Amino acid sequence: MKVRLIVRRWKQGWTRPRYDVFDVEADPEESVLDLIERVSLSTDRTLVFEHACHHGACGACGMIINGVERLACVTKVGEAARKGLLLVEPLRGFEVISDLAVDKSRMFSKYPAETQTLEPVAASLEKLYDCVECGVCYSACPIANTYGEYLGPSVLALAYHRALSDGVVPGSVAGSGGVWACHAAFDCSEKCPVGFKPGEKIMKLRRLLLGGRVKVS
Amino acid sequence: MGLGKAVRSWFQVKGRSAEHISFGLRRLAGIVLALYLVIHMVDISTLLLGREYYQALLNLFSSPVGLVFDIILWILLVAHGSLGLYSAIVEAGFLVDRRKELLVAAWAVVALFSLVGAVVIIHVMG
Repeated sequence: MKVRLIVRRWKQGWTRPRYDVFDVEADPEESVLDLIERVSLSTDRTLVFEHACHHGACGACGMIINGVERLACVTKVGEAARKGLLLVEPLRGFEVISDLAVDKSRMFSKYPAETQTLEPVAASLEKLYDCVECGVCYSACPIANTYGEYLGPSVLALAYHRALSDGVVPGSVAGSGGVWACHAAFDCSEKCPVGFKPGEKIMKLRRLLLGGRVKVS
Repeated sequence: MGLGKAVRSWFQVKGRSAEHISFGLRRLAGIVLALYLVIHMVDISTLLLGREYYQALLNLFSSPVGLVFDIILWILLVAHGSLGLYSAIVEAGFLVDRRKELLVAAWAVVALFSLVGAVVIIHVMG
C-alpha cells in the first residue's frame, strides 16, 4: 500500500516544529516502527526516534500515531493508517529531545522517592507488575499534560501495588500531586499497551486511603 | 504549563476515551455555568438602576433567543450535575470496573432531563 508518512520534526534551537512528508510503499502488516526505521535508513538519517526490543516489551517506541498514543513496534501500518496517511508525533507531557524522542526523566525520576520500589529488588518488582514504563499513560493523561507536579499514572499505579503489600504509601502519593490530582479520564488505562490499568489502580488506592486501610508515611 | 496547553489537553476529542471526553465536557459546562453566575449577578443588579432596566432584561430572556439560551444552560447544568455524580462515585473508588455502564447511565440521565427541561421551558416561558 502507498503510505504518506508525516513526521513532526523538532531539533534543539528551532523556534517551531515542522512536518516532513515521506511518500513510501509499505506492507500493511509491517509495524509503524519498521516503516519509520526504513525511512530513516533510506531517506533521512537525521530522523530521531527511540526503539530497542521491537516486540512491545521495552516501552521505548511510545509515540502518537494518528492522534493516539501507541507503541510503534506493535502497531501495524494497515490498522493505523487513515486513507493512506500516517501522522507520527512525539508523546505529550514530556520535553522533546529531538523529533520523536522525548525525555522521560519526569517519570523515571519519580520511581525511587515516590514509590520506594527501586531498592535492590525494585527492578524485578516493576517487571512483575507488567508496566513497561513507556510513558504512554503520561501522554494520554490530561492532568499529567498540564500539571507538572502530578506524579503520573504509572508511578501511582505502582504505589497501589506497594500499598497492597506494605499497607503504607509515601506522603507525596496521598498529597495534592498524588492520587487526588487524578480526574478519572481513564485514557491512561485505555491507551496502556500492556493493560496495566493505572486509572483503576489510582481509584482503588483512593478507596484504600479513604477507608483508612493504608497508612501514609 | 500554559493555559492554552491545558485547555487543548482537556478538550481534545480525537483518539480520546468516552471518560476523557465526558471529563472535558463537565469542565466546559462548569466554566460556562460559572460565567453565567457572574452574568446573573449583573442581571439582578440592574434592579438598582430601576424597574424598566430590569424589565428590559426580562423581555430579552423571554425572547426566542433567550429561550434557546435557557435551554442550553439547562442542558449544561444537567450535564455538569450528572457527570459530576458519575465522577464522584468513580473517583471515590466505587464501581471503577463498571464505570462504562455508569457513564452510559449518566449520559442517559443527561438526555432525559435535557429533553424534559427543554419541553418545560418552551411551554412555561415560550
